[in-house]
Amino acid sequence: MDHHFRAFSFVDRITAIEGGRRIRGHYAIPAGIDSFSPSLVGEAIGQIAAWAAMAAVDFTHRPVAGIVGGIDLTSTVRPGQRLELSADLDGVDTSAIAYSGTAQVEGSPVLRLERCVGPMVPVEEFDDPQALRERFALLSAAGAAPGAFGGMCPLIAHRGGGEPGRSVRATLELPATASFFSDHFPRRPVFPGSLLVDQNLQLVAALAAEIPPPDNGGRWVARRLTGLKLRSFIPPGETLEFEARLVERSAGSATVKVETRRGTRLTGTATILLGMEAYP
Amino acid sequence: MSNANINKEDIAALLPKVAETIADALGCDAANVKPDASLINDLGAESIDFLDIVFRLERAFKVKIPRGKIVEEARGSLSESEFENGGVLTPAGEARLKEFLSEVPPDRFKSPMKAAEIPRLFTTETFCKMVIRQQRAAGGSGQPA
Repeated sequence: MDHHFRAFSFVDRITAIEGGRRIRGHYAIPAGIDSFSPSLVGEAIGQIAAWAAMAAVDFTHRPVAGIVGGIDLTSTVRPGQRLELSADLDGVDTSAIAYSGTAQVEGSPVLRLERCVGPMVPVEEFDDPQALRERFALLSAAGAAPGAFGGMCPLIAHRGGGEPGRSVRATLELPATASFFSDHFPRRPVFPGSLLVDQNLQLVAALAAEIPPPDNGGRWVARRLTGLKLRSFIPPGETLEFEARLVERSAGSATVKVETRRGTRLTGTATILLGMEAYP
Repeated sequence: MSNANINKEDIAALLPKVAETIADALGCDAANVKPDASLINDLGAESIDFLDIVFRLERAFKVKIPRGKIVEEARGSLSESEFENGGVLTPAGEARLKEFLSEVPPDRFKSPMKAAEIPRLFTTETFCKMVIRQQRAAGGSGQPA
């Protein structure tokens, strides 16, 4: 099966590009999949911003994930829901894109990306420029048929090491092949930054379960991620080492720093703020 | 754009805010961001960090910094072929770079030098000068925003 525009593509239709700086569109989360993580919602926002950026430079360059100033994790989404996507570009040229963006479900925000900066790289190294042009034309007209995404293959990190309640460590061996690598990207497969964030959030959830509960007696949940920086491309088959470390805890919030390494090289960093789970 | 008339007082006026901005981007203590610190060799910066720093400086000083153009600026009036040959700086290119990056200690310039190695020379003061040049180009005073 050709996985291009299927295995890791999360924009069904582009409904408006205003002045080349504001783009809007939507994505229907397939009803038949098990789940759709907040990281994939962030990926969808990044992808709609990427379409605006590529169109702005006539598909000579495309953005890749780099820096995210903040991610507000407002609420989770379910299969079958439709994401309304929008992104505002603060700037784009052949060296970088700067943007912020939001995903909403039925008028309510579910996730917001703030102050994102991504390097622009030559499209030809990563994808077929003509295929991207044709896809952009399709998305901007009738839109793509929804439902192509069949869900994520499980990526299981193995926990080991750390200090209970203070830090946790995990190792993830990336597969050499996976459908998402064929879409991200066809000519040069790269482990998506959003999936790295997903691993970070899973590790922090594991640490959160070990931290003494907040003062309301409930659970810690990730509310916001700040200062995400992805320092290098991660090819298929690599081994990633994660460490999440509690740096601060108060009555109603906790701060966890997460580092991702490939060998000795620091590949990703982020800070995740935990808050108290709201009671219904 | 030249460095003409950027003096030590101009740089000193911006230095604390530039150092703080660089420290925030690199996640290090601002006290470690010395004026002559090489961002790559001394502070461990990578290419994504330069992008981060430039965008943070743009926000902090309300200027537009042309990304990826610092090497082009360093070239000045020299053509590309006068500045470098096969990715290696020509003698004229080396002389021009030393003049442009006058804040960088002379012993850090190699000869021969690859153009790709130029960012290794960038110091905290290099970014101060970058902001001042853009402030002046925009008609500003070259003072902190």
